[in-house]
Amino acid sequence: MAGGPSKEMLAEIASRPGRDTLISSAVKYVFIALSLGFLAALLFAPLATVFITALSKGWEMYFESFKDEDTLAAIKLTLTVAAIVVPTNTIFGIAAAWAIAKFEFRGKSFLITLIDLPIAVSPVISGLVYVLLFGAQGWFGLWLQERDISIIFAVPGIVLATMFVTFPYVARELIPLMQQLGNDEEEAAITLGAGGLMTFFHVTLPKIRWGLVYGVILCNARAMGEFGAVSVVSGHVRGLTTTMPLHVEILYNEYNFVGAFAVASLLTVLAVLTLIIKSLVEMKRK
Amino acid sequence: MSITLDQVTKRYQGSPVVNDVSLEVGEGEFYVLLGPSGSGKSTLLRAIAGLTGVDHGRIALHGNDVTHVSARQRGVGLVFQNYALFRHMTVGENIEFALKVRRMKAAERRERRKELLRLVALEGMDDRLPTQLSGGQQQRVAVARALAHKPPVLLLDEPFGALDAKIREELRRTIRQVQRELKITTVLVTHDQEEAFAMADRIGVMNLGRLLESGRPDELYARPATRFVATFLGAANLLLARQTEQGIRFGAAPVNARRVEKLEGGREQEVVAVLRPEEVELAPTRDNLRTNFIANGIVEEQVFTGAFERMRVRMADGAANAHIASPNTNGGNGSAALLDVTRTQHEQRLFPLALGQSVAIGVRRIHVLPTPLSSYTAYGSDEASCERLSQHPFLVELASRMKTRIIKRSEAPLVACDAPASAPVSGVAVIAAGQKTAEQLQWLLQNGAGEVLVLPAHSSAPQRVLIHWADDSARRSTLAVAASLLRHVAAEAVYVGILPEGSGGESQRPFGVRTLLDARSEAQAVHGLEMRTELRFGAAADELQRQLTESQDPMLILGVSDPAQLRGTFGALFTSGSTYPMMIVYRPSKDSEGAVE
Repeated sequence: MAGGPSKEMLAEIASRPGRDTLISSAVKYVFIALSLGFLAALLFAPLATVFITALSKGWEMYFESFKDEDTLAAIKLTLTVAAIVVPTNTIFGIAAAWAIAKFEFRGKSFLITLIDLPIAVSPVISGLVYVLLFGAQGWFGLWLQERDISIIFAVPGIVLATMFVTFPYVARELIPLMQQLGNDEEEAAITLGAGGLMTFFHVTLPKIRWGLVYGVILCNARAMGEFGAVSVVSGHVRGLTTTMPLHVEILYNEYNFVGAFAVASLLTVLAVLTLIIKSLVEMKRK
Repeated sequence: MSITLDQVTKRYQGSPVVNDVSLEVGEGEFYVLLGPSGSGKSTLLRAIAGLTGVDHGRIALHGNDVTHVSARQRGVGLVFQNYALFRHMTVGENIEFALKVRRMKAAERRERRKELLRLVALEGMDDRLPTQLSGGQQQRVAVARALAHKPPVLLLDEPFGALDAKIREELRRTIRQVQRELKITTVLVTHDQEEAFAMADRIGVMNLGRLLESGRPDELYARPATRFVATFLGAANLLLARQTEQGIRFGAAPVNARRVEKLEGGREQEVVAVLRPEEVELAPTRDNLRTNFIANGIVEEQVFTGAFERMRVRMADGAANAHIASPNTNGGNGSAALLDVTRTQHEQRLFPLALGQSVAIGVRRIHVLPTPLSSYTAYGSDEASCERLSQHPFLVELASRMKTRIIKRSEAPLVACDAPASAPVSGVAVIAAGQKTAEQLQWLLQNGAGEVLVLPAHSSAPQRVLIHWADDSARRSTLAVAASLLRHVAAEAVYVGILPEGSGGESQRPFGVRTLLDARSEAQAVHGLEMRTELRFGAAADELQRQLTESQDPMLILGVSDPAQLRGTFGALFTSGSTYPMMIVYRPSKDSEGAVE
């Protein structure tokens, strides 16, 4: 018989002690232990500290700190910013992903690079760009001042900076997905008589929904947690232009540890919630 | 007519992917577009559906011009290779989609859905999701969905591509059944000739963006007009032969093939013959053959494939030189004279064969292609120039696409053009463009050449081929050459009609236009060539020259009935040393030779 190992040889291979398997499983456990230990030291410990400190004076003091007007204003501002930024970036993200995935045009790779820019650039720089543009000494500063429009050190600036930083999340999630799914279903819908809107809402959107939800969740998490860019443009006006991350810093600097960590714990809860929803979405996607 | 395509052209980055396709599909007909990948068949289908716009031409569905109507309004039923079902909708929702768009009442929708599911044999599957179905079932749903809104035509784009053989056959049967039951005009695109044979009422074979031939499967198989169709539809041996008064001759052996169509002119000439593997008879000796003997041979390869035995036989004798098409050799030469043969079980029992055994080869039936371009002979004054010319990229490409060979022949008289050639010219003569092109052309024509290809040293494959003939007696043969050449070149064909300027040139316009239309319809009807037409006024050579310099990557096909015309009327074309390929077609006018049609 030509080709292939003999029967005896196959039996011999099958009866070998699993030396290879032993080593590889040892390697597996070492790596798992390593990464778990690393995570425990770097992630779980600080997380635990946040909650322990927040509750160090008991539940009463914990809830008391949320009754502070400035804290409530910070929570409100954060939610407002997220409420504006997330839908806007969702719409623009879909538009950008659609353009990139479905059409061929000049400057396509340039557009992809531009979308990635906010991830590459330090958030502080993103904030500074807006100060440079709209600040008192900025390019449009005088023009804005004359018309009594304030962008920097006000809510519009915070919204703009957050939008800039969180723009890539939806688009980045959708581009590979849309490229992979192709155009056939849309074309089928069109030949069946569906118009543009109907095709989008009944065919495209359901097709990309899980990817979209995933992108929106990431975008939202970043929008609520953004510190650097917002810190530059906000001006830290208490009760007016402080978002939750900024407010945590202010409280901490005032040695109000319980207050600071209480707000921080709320942010953490929001983040953990986001992660839970994210994993649920991932399970659903499969 | 259900679907009418009129000179449909689609360009992609300048070069045509669908090239002047005209086609009519009748009511209730099942038409199969067959071609290799990249032949433009899917693009054509998408153009009919309206998903791809066309650059030129007209598309009509049931008599209504829909060229500029959107895909949505055309509402054809389209089935994709990868099903393209709406994955988040159930089978029922998928099928009802088109009806929902049309705001049909729920009760009626349900009724129609039930009917369609019965049609594709998927009753009771309404609530399944596409992912819960097998590939074959998904494609059935896709067919039902495409039929829901009672589309004017059904288009299928490689619908069985992603399925395995067993399911493919089953689905084929279902689709054919559905099509017969609904009597819906259907166009199916495929690269699988077996599939085409199994389903089609008519087949259209596409290559390089052109619709080469269109006809009933059995007709196309028995009497192909082109090399491509002959070799793409089933297996075929292409042989060079000489057509003489007595019949077809391979090398030294005359074959008395009665059913050979007479070629034009009746002169003895080189032709391309199609020999199907199953039409070959093998016998121990020449005397045992019951059919016409063509050569002796040796069995070189033998494969058992179940119902048939497939073998390759190396031809000996002079006939070895006749074989031109071999898949492994580029153009081929005498050493690759392997003949593909298939034999039935019955034949095998009558005459068992072993490798290396010598046999006598006979042919039961032979078909001669009506192409005037048989083989190429590169002429030069010495060996080196022959060699250089035979390596010309355009010539090599042309020969390999035509599955023919390039012979090299050095002829010293080519320099002075005084002495006669050492052997008569057969097939297409090829010369390099130069100062003495006109003299060399005349010399070749006097030595029996009917077609001469003039190639400049640097020329790329043409994009635009201009066709012109000096007078009406050259029309027919020029069109035949143009049609044959253009099947192997992805270029647009334009016939340029030229009327003399002045002396009431304008008043001759109606006459000129009629000549153009006649030429176009003859090209289409007789040679299957789609071409545009343009009418010019002025001196023929000047007008052609102007047209050629204006086009990018042009080529000229010029028909003459008198060698003197090359130096007279068209002299200006040869003085400058051309930068584009030229094909000169020469047929002596009928009255001067007295030949019969």
